[in-house]
Amino acid sequence: MAISVAHPTPRQSPLGRTFARIIERRPSRLALGILTAIVLVGLLAPLIAPYDPAAQPDIVLMKDLAPSPAHPFGTDPYSRDVLSRVIYGARLSLFIGLLATVVSLTLGVAYGAVAGYAGGLVDAIMMRVLDAFLAIPRLLLLVAILAAWPRLSIGALILFLGLTGWFGLSRIVRGQVLALKHAEFVTAARALGANRRRILWRHLLPNLVSPIVVAATLGVAHVIVLEAGLSYLGIGVPQPEASWGNIIRDGSDQVATLWWMSLFPGLMMVLTVMTLNVLGESLRDAYDRSW
Amino acid sequence: MLRYAVERVVQAAVIVVFVAAISFALIHFAPGDPFSAAIDNPNVSDAIRERLRVQYGFDRPLPEQFARYVSQLARGELGWSFSHDRPVRDVLTHALPNTLLLMSIALIGSFALGVLIAVVQVSRRGSATDHVLSGASLLFLSMPDFWLAILALLAFTYWLPIFPVGGAVDPVMHEYMGLGGRILDRLRHLLLPALTLTLLAAASVARYQRAALLDVLPADYIRTARLKGLTERAILRRHALRNATLPIISLIGLSFPALLTGAVFIERVFAWPGMGYALVNAIASRDYPLVVGAVIIGSIMVMAGSFLADMLYAWADPRLRGN
Repeated sequence: MAISVAHPTPRQSPLGRTFARIIERRPSRLALGILTAIVLVGLLAPLIAPYDPAAQPDIVLMKDLAPSPAHPFGTDPYSRDVLSRVIYGARLSLFIGLLATVVSLTLGVAYGAVAGYAGGLVDAIMMRVLDAFLAIPRLLLLVAILAAWPRLSIGALILFLGLTGWFGLSRIVRGQVLALKHAEFVTAARALGANRRRILWRHLLPNLVSPIVVAATLGVAHVIVLEAGLSYLGIGVPQPEASWGNIIRDGSDQVATLWWMSLFPGLMMVLTVMTLNVLGESLRDAYDRSW
Repeated sequence: MLRYAVERVVQAAVIVVFVAAISFALIHFAPGDPFSAAIDNPNVSDAIRERLRVQYGFDRPLPEQFARYVSQLARGELGWSFSHDRPVRDVLTHALPNTLLLMSIALIGSFALGVLIAVVQVSRRGSATDHVLSGASLLFLSMPDFWLAILALLAFTYWLPIFPVGGAVDPVMHEYMGLGGRILDRLRHLLLPALTLTLLAAASVARYQRAALLDVLPADYIRTARLKGLTERAILRRHALRNATLPIISLIGLSFPALLTGAVFIERVFAWPGMGYALVNAIASRDYPLVVGAVIIGSIMVMAGSFLADMLYAWADPRLRGN
């Protein structure tokens, strides 16, 4: 006797479907355009930046210059060109945001999937551990870690940002896995002889793509803000590397006289974070509607 | 309800021990001794360093050190602050009231403002007002705390000097003021930092509350109320808002980490003498015991906050109140 298997929808990648939904809306189209521009600025920083971001042409005569045609964003107390630093800052901030998010996605998905799939006592213990991590505000945890190791490399900073960013996502993943574990298509796969690994990889994870993409988009935005905050406190990106938070820190002793040093990098940061948030939210909407 | 409370207390206690374990691990795996800032000095001989290690118990086995550390914490001993030259506990007990003041004003203010914005938006959903307010709350949500604080400082103390530059009181004149003058002086210093934190927190409340209200509106009882002839306003106030209170309460519990994080940056920018300011200065002067102390107290505050919110939730939801 033939077993009939239901095929409710034709094969279409969940990513392609959500992308199509995003393009439909004007705000998210605009956000996507702006974000692409910022990413391009970051990628092409060496070509776009008018000066070397670390060059200190004249620390006496050219420091603290207000914005002018030669230096549209002014110069900093070390006579460096702020526009060039903001451009290179885009490169670094996006890079850190992206890599740290990759780290936390990997951890979050793995942890959540294992907890959800294992169930029972293992799940209970794993979730209590997660609760404990979630109870500590991320910034405080990072401050405690980073203050202990002075002058960390950017790689280590990325690692710590990633290591502290996966708790929320793994909860979502666990919930989804728990919900899907007994779905008919999983039972069918098991009946066909698929082992655990195959079920997790081929059947459960593809169904988690949407929440993961949403978490990634919002996660990058969050990491950018966190990195800027840590750099502003002096424990983020090591000086003299240009990051948006570092530039603002360089001007933070004379906020009133060096207003351009807080205003311009901050504007870039808000623009980036806002576009990421808009995209993340419309991704979430698209995903909610597709259920 | 009582059983639930007990369960949550036990859970919170386990988490506190866990936080202590993390901070203990951080202290021990960090380079140097916890007090290396004070004795990492070529003028201090190895013999003295060794004696200090024994005196502070760093020669004992790790489990014993951890047990000692936890029992110290339980007695409220957080170690010695090198930069202030007094116990960490003293430094933090002086700073804590200022932070709590800032956070509670921002908590109340942001929920009042956020819910108000959401109600205005939902009562005119789809209108230009709705879109503008949505955009504004997204903007504030995307703003790093310290950047908005810097902008507020620039705008209202330098360009338009209506507020004092920073601190909790006027550094010179406060001592010479009468009672009324002192209160006024404190208020003047408090207003700008509190307003900044309120705005930042209100953005997420408004967004969340708007979604919660929109979730409730398609419900049958709302349609019934509308069919009864109630005005949109009465429906919102009497039916929708009331049913959207539970999400508000759980949002209060979730908002503590963001409020505390915001307070750290805002205190730094406005030199507001709270825990965040102490923390930032401790980072700068490499006073690690104070950093860890502030982190532990901060985590406990967040946990206590979400515990209270959970209790409030259990009390406010009639379905949970019974058992």
